[in-house]
Amino acid sequence: MSLDMFPWLIGLSTALFMIGALGVLIRRNPLVVFMSIELMLNAVNLAFVTFGRFLNSEDGQIFAFMVIVVAASEVVVGLALITTVFRTGRDMDVDDLSEMRE
Amino acid sequence: MTNVTLMGGLAGALLLLPVIGCLLNGLLGDRLGRRWVNWIGPGVIGLAFVVAVLVLIQVVGADDAHKSLTIRFWDWLNLGAGNLNVGFDVTIDPLAVVMIMVITGVGFLIHVYSVGYMDHDPDVARFFSYMNLFIFSMLMLVLAGDLLFLIIGWALVALSSYLLIGFWWRRPSAVQAARKAFITQVIGDVALVIAAFLILTSLKGQDGRGIFSISLPTVFYNAQFSFAHGGVTITAICILLAIGAFAKSAQFPLHTWLPDAMEGPTPVSALIHAATMVTAGVYLIARFHTLFDMAPIAQGMVACVGMGTALMAGVIALSQVDIKRVIAYSTMSQIGLMIFAVGIGAYTAGMFHFVTHAVFKALLFMAAGNVIHAMNDEQDIRLMGGLGDRMRNTERAFIAGSLALAGIPFFAGWFSKEDILGFGTVAGPLVPSLFIVGLIINVLTGLYAIRLWAVVFRGEPQTARVFQAHEPGRSMLWPVMLLGGLSVLLGIVLQWPFQILGFSAHFLSSFLDPVFGAGAVAEPSTAKGAIALAVGTIFSLVGVGMAYRLWYEKKPHAQEVVERLPRLLPQLSWHKFYFDELYDAVLVRPALAVAGAARRIVEPRVFDGWVRGIGQLFADISIDFRAIETGLIRDYATGMLVFAGVFVGVAYLITR
Repeated sequence: MSLDMFPWLIGLSTALFMIGALGVLIRRNPLVVFMSIELMLNAVNLAFVTFGRFLNSEDGQIFAFMVIVVAASEVVVGLALITTVFRTGRDMDVDDLSEMRE
Repeated sequence: MTNVTLMGGLAGALLLLPVIGCLLNGLLGDRLGRRWVNWIGPGVIGLAFVVAVLVLIQVVGADDAHKSLTIRFWDWLNLGAGNLNVGFDVTIDPLAVVMIMVITGVGFLIHVYSVGYMDHDPDVARFFSYMNLFIFSMLMLVLAGDLLFLIIGWALVALSSYLLIGFWWRRPSAVQAARKAFITQVIGDVALVIAAFLILTSLKGQDGRGIFSISLPTVFYNAQFSFAHGGVTITAICILLAIGAFAKSAQFPLHTWLPDAMEGPTPVSALIHAATMVTAGVYLIARFHTLFDMAPIAQGMVACVGMGTALMAGVIALSQVDIKRVIAYSTMSQIGLMIFAVGIGAYTAGMFHFVTHAVFKALLFMAAGNVIHAMNDEQDIRLMGGLGDRMRNTERAFIAGSLALAGIPFFAGWFSKEDILGFGTVAGPLVPSLFIVGLIINVLTGLYAIRLWAVVFRGEPQTARVFQAHEPGRSMLWPVMLLGGLSVLLGIVLQWPFQILGFSAHFLSSFLDPVFGAGAVAEPSTAKGAIALAVGTIFSLVGVGMAYRLWYEKKPHAQEVVERLPRLLPQLSWHKFYFDELYDAVLVRPALAVAGAARRIVEPRVFDGWVRGIGQLFADISIDFRAIETGLIRDYATGMLVFAGVFVGVAYLITR
């Protein structure tokens, strides 16, 4: 892979990250918010792996693995929460779920 | 037996069949319907038995040098040459073949029996799923060619035993018993794992360099280079292995879980807590005979514990009144004999007794299950009596099993038990005092075996329920009858002493001998063996005769005899030597007391104060910060994003 791929990959990672961030900010369906978070995590993974590749180091890949593990645990917890909320028969709207404020 | 593909395929099929049954019944049991569940559960084990027979034919057909074969299925962990290399190995040798024949054969009959026994239970799919899981675990345990996978099978066996003891989970006593069994098993598991680590760190090759492997053939081959005969390391390893075996085989001091395990359904008691799982300890010691042969101290300990447990359990069995517990203590006693046999190096005798015991003890449990079924789940033998007239076939099978257990000539148990006692005259610590203990056990065995028969099947009916008792259906009767026939014939078939019609004499010993080789103890001389046989048989007959007088003819009445004994003896027997009370006082109560004290004193005085104080502090501070808590996720997310941006910006400015 030649060096001139580098800006493109980082650019792609940034774009994915921004799309994810916007999704988190704008969408109200918790599932979509969740997917957006995953998108952000994977954008970061891409950045890690890219940096690792161009710095000739395995650290990037190792960190990407860490992120994957964290993402997996996050999916477990998050989906459990969403399912539980859904079972109570409420609207699936993140703005609605604000009782924890108190 | 050089056909690796064929043997590998057979071994793979053997392991996969129960898994398929377990998954089908476990995942789809509710949708399959009862009919299918009842076919799949026993069906897969029946097929596994067929495969086991094919394996047996292959191994019997091979010449002595090629009877053992280790097949690598896949590498599980391979760190390169000279480094740790653990793979899923399957070892097929005569010892494993004897085990798989019993596990699948007796297992199949018990599965068939379960169809009838669990007929009224709505949860039969879960039951068969667990039973198949157990068969798989047990096969894995005996086929494993690597210590790691042996330990996995070992632990899975404990798990399935736990699941099945607690099968009726609505009963608190069943859950308690399951927990007790599992905790005791874990003590053994830990010992076994420590032993594995010790082997791993101390194993050396011929050149003196360390070998990083726990593959069983490697361990056994290199043991001669790694350990000094009778050295500290090998003794420690063998004692740890023995502790694992004691936990699994319900030997002193880890024996208290077995009687409680009778809370499970009766087929479970027959399969797991009599025929197979509890003999895994015997198998373990026989499998590791190469190591035990190098550690005489550990061997002596094993022999003494085995004989001691056999004596103690025999005494306890005399006074118990729960039909299953009597048989459970008798199991403990017989396994004690097996442990004694493998402890003195009489491995073949131990394995022979394992085979016959599996048959007649499974039979006794299933016959007891028939009785319990006929009595509407009553297990107290004092409320039975006179059942023989109403359950003729069950009684006949029960008598065959009891006589085999008591060691009456030409029944299966006679061959195997007297075999062990014969070795007791020439080998073992303190020769021949343990042989004399064995004679006492012979008397005790006759006493409790015949007592159970006389009290349950003979005499006057003690409750009205007896009059409604009747024989169970075919699926419960036929396995019992078949095993009854085997209890009579198996000893003759397996160890027929004379060459006849091309069948070799002592089939089982000549089949197993290549495994144990030079380490096994030599046979007693013919004269000595004959005397031991005669004396042992006389003692067995005395036990049976005494029991017949006491409980059948009631001349003198058993109660009168008990009153003439020193009071301590019946007390100890009735209270099971106070072991439950002892463990309760030494382990359970102190643990509960410490926990209670921690909750009552330490927690409120030491922790609650500052834990709550910190909470209060932040609550006070946070009252002002509440305004930014809007409850809207996007506000928080925006905040995080903005701060992340600020952070990156600051970092950029600093590092520039």
